[in-house]
Amino acid sequence: MAGGLPHPVLWSTLLHVDQVTIGGATVEFKHVFYTWCAMAVLFSLGLLVRGGLKLVPGGIQNVFEVVIGGLEDFVVTNIGEDGRKVFPLLGGIFLFILFQNLLGLIPGCDAPTANVNTNAAMAVFVFLYYNYQGIKRWGPGYIKHFMGPMWWLTPLMLPLELISHTARPLSLTLRLFGNIRGEEIVMVLFFLMAPIVGTIPVYFLFLLGKVLQSFIFFMLTMIYLKGAFEHAH
Amino acid sequence: MFFNNWFKINDKKYLDAISTAGVIGLHMVSATVVGLGMGWYLDRWLGTKPWLTGVFLILGIVAGFKNVWLDSRRLLKAQDKEDAEKFGPKD
Repeated sequence: MAGGLPHPVLWSTLLHVDQVTIGGATVEFKHVFYTWCAMAVLFSLGLLVRGGLKLVPGGIQNVFEVVIGGLEDFVVTNIGEDGRKVFPLLGGIFLFILFQNLLGLIPGCDAPTANVNTNAAMAVFVFLYYNYQGIKRWGPGYIKHFMGPMWWLTPLMLPLELISHTARPLSLTLRLFGNIRGEEIVMVLFFLMAPIVGTIPVYFLFLLGKVLQSFIFFMLTMIYLKGAFEHAH
Repeated sequence: MFFNNWFKINDKKYLDAISTAGVIGLHMVSATVVGLGMGWYLDRWLGTKPWLTGVFLILGIVAGFKNVWLDSRRLLKAQDKEDAEKFGPKD
């Protein structure tokens, strides 16, 4: 966890998967292990809901319908009907990051998003995906998105747009990493000051923070996709 | 009472506004940093120290301000829409 701070007992330490040796090189494996945990939870929830689908939803199916229906409405009002095509990815990103973030609140688990590598992988994937969708939609005309509103502004706008597009994965990565890592550090500090009693109030604050961070990642991905879909200027 | 506020925050409109306001700062910084990095590497590659670093740093700052402008326009547009729902369309 945070450099120098004592960290609580983790399941990954008990299972000896903090570091693994692949081809002679020892690599950090904790965040991969907890990413797999989040995936396992999501897969089993998904299979559970799919197995008991009913026309009149109840219990867990109800929760999923509210969350996914609400998000889909939000995406369609923002992007338009194109949004339905990319919604599976957007909803998947939201739920995946939400579960990864919330793992940090469970005793014995650590949030995989508190490691910069997990976030960088997701941010680079988002960057490639929206550019792919833009090129698929506009073909070579996608370059017009980088050329500004008037043709004589092109020499100025091309480097500007290149810089601001390259900055997108960087800011996506750093925002999620900084927030989640900071929350983990603050949680350890509170636990050191007043065990159990001190951590309960911040649990509620961080619950909000973690939901907000996953929503921000989802919303920014949606805005980038919208920019790739709509006509250039 | 606490849960009432919690559900209000869960409302998509509020989440959207909070998120847009929250991303503005980092958008400006990250564009500046990327501009500086691009200029530095181009300088090292082409051997034109220190000119490209300066040029790309300024371009990065301009790109950062452009990002801030776009984000605030998005916030204002959402605000206008809400006002129009509440008080009728603006003339």
